[in-house]
Amino acid sequence: MQKALRSIAASAFAIASTGAFVPASVALLPQAAAAATASKLGDLSAFRTVASDVSALVDKGDLTGARKRIKDLETSWDEAEAGLKPRAAADWHIVDKAIDHALEDLRASNPTVAQCKTSMGSLLRTMDQMSGKN
Amino acid sequence: MTTTCREVFNKVPQITLGFWVIKILSTTVGETVADTLAVNIGFGTAITGLAMGALLVSALFGQMRRRKYVPWLYWSTVVLVSIVGTQITDALTDRLGVSLYVSTAAFAAALAGVFVVWRRREGTLDVTAIDSTSREAFYWAAILCTFALGTAAGDLATEAVGMGFRWGVFVFASAIVLDIVAWKAGLNPVAAFWFAYVLTRPLGASLGDLLSQSKTYGGLGLGALATSAAFIAVIVGLVAQAQRRATQPV
Repeated sequence: MQKALRSIAASAFAIASTGAFVPASVALLPQAAAAATASKLGDLSAFRTVASDVSALVDKGDLTGARKRIKDLETSWDEAEAGLKPRAAADWHIVDKAIDHALEDLRASNPTVAQCKTSMGSLLRTMDQMSGKN
Repeated sequence: MTTTCREVFNKVPQITLGFWVIKILSTTVGETVADTLAVNIGFGTAITGLAMGALLVSALFGQMRRRKYVPWLYWSTVVLVSIVGTQITDALTDRLGVSLYVSTAAFAAALAGVFVVWRRREGTLDVTAIDSTSREAFYWAAILCTFALGTAAGDLATEAVGMGFRWGVFVFASAIVLDIVAWKAGLNPVAAFWFAYVLTRPLGASLGDLLSQSKTYGGLGLGALATSAAFIAVIVGLVAQAQRRATQPV
């Protein structure tokens, strides 16, 4: 029993010390509070392009078209989660929530242009904030 | 005579390299399938969750009533447990807002709890002696916990220290290697097995991401479809091989 406990303790220590190999740059640095600093999420321009397509369709009143186009954003955002989230998890969640709100509003049983304009506007602003433009 | 009988009546596979390879790959495939159904095809997480849960119940029923180890049935069950375990953690995190610190700790405690009750009831935690319904029930309960725990711990590593999939593959693979070293040095085999088993979940997830994620994010850019197809091909090959061996006369 004691031998097993010692082995467990030794291996737990060994495994914990693999954490020492993770470079400091990987650790989450405190995010700057000011919106003017670009998020560590990095380049979101591909997503922003699709979002602005959706917004344009909403402005035209074409909610059906907007709903179709935002699906592209949903799938591409979802696919890139493993690559983006580690860069800045908290920021990733902010953008993810904004996308979710836009999706909800566009997929509502009775979507309104006004409501969709609001959530799309909010999404675009959020993405711009992450790119350091505000 | 005794060993042969035990081998024939053990409901779960022998712990070979093939076992670990299938385990790691099936984790990734399961996650990709669930994701494709929920997002790409658009059923949403709720419906996908219910469908997977129903499939799991029927697979478990089929698996547990058989009197012997049937590889394709066993591994289908593992994939479904993987999907459902992941979905449970995701539901807690995304819908109920449970912190990943809490879910990681809770599932670790749940797993420990399963082992305590299992040990008390059956006298042994030996995974080469799953020869009764009761033992098998504990076995699958433990496996479900390892998938939920592996998901939570892996997600926690991403969110707490920003560990991406490249580091993930290195860290989780290294942890398994250290586990093997500890086992050779005398670590209790049951502890070594389950520790490695938990780790294969985040390892599988990181490996899948490394292959499928765009080069922009440091992946190999193969895409989810090609990666899944490749993994499925390997799994089917290995399970077919196991199936052939299982039906050979002893």
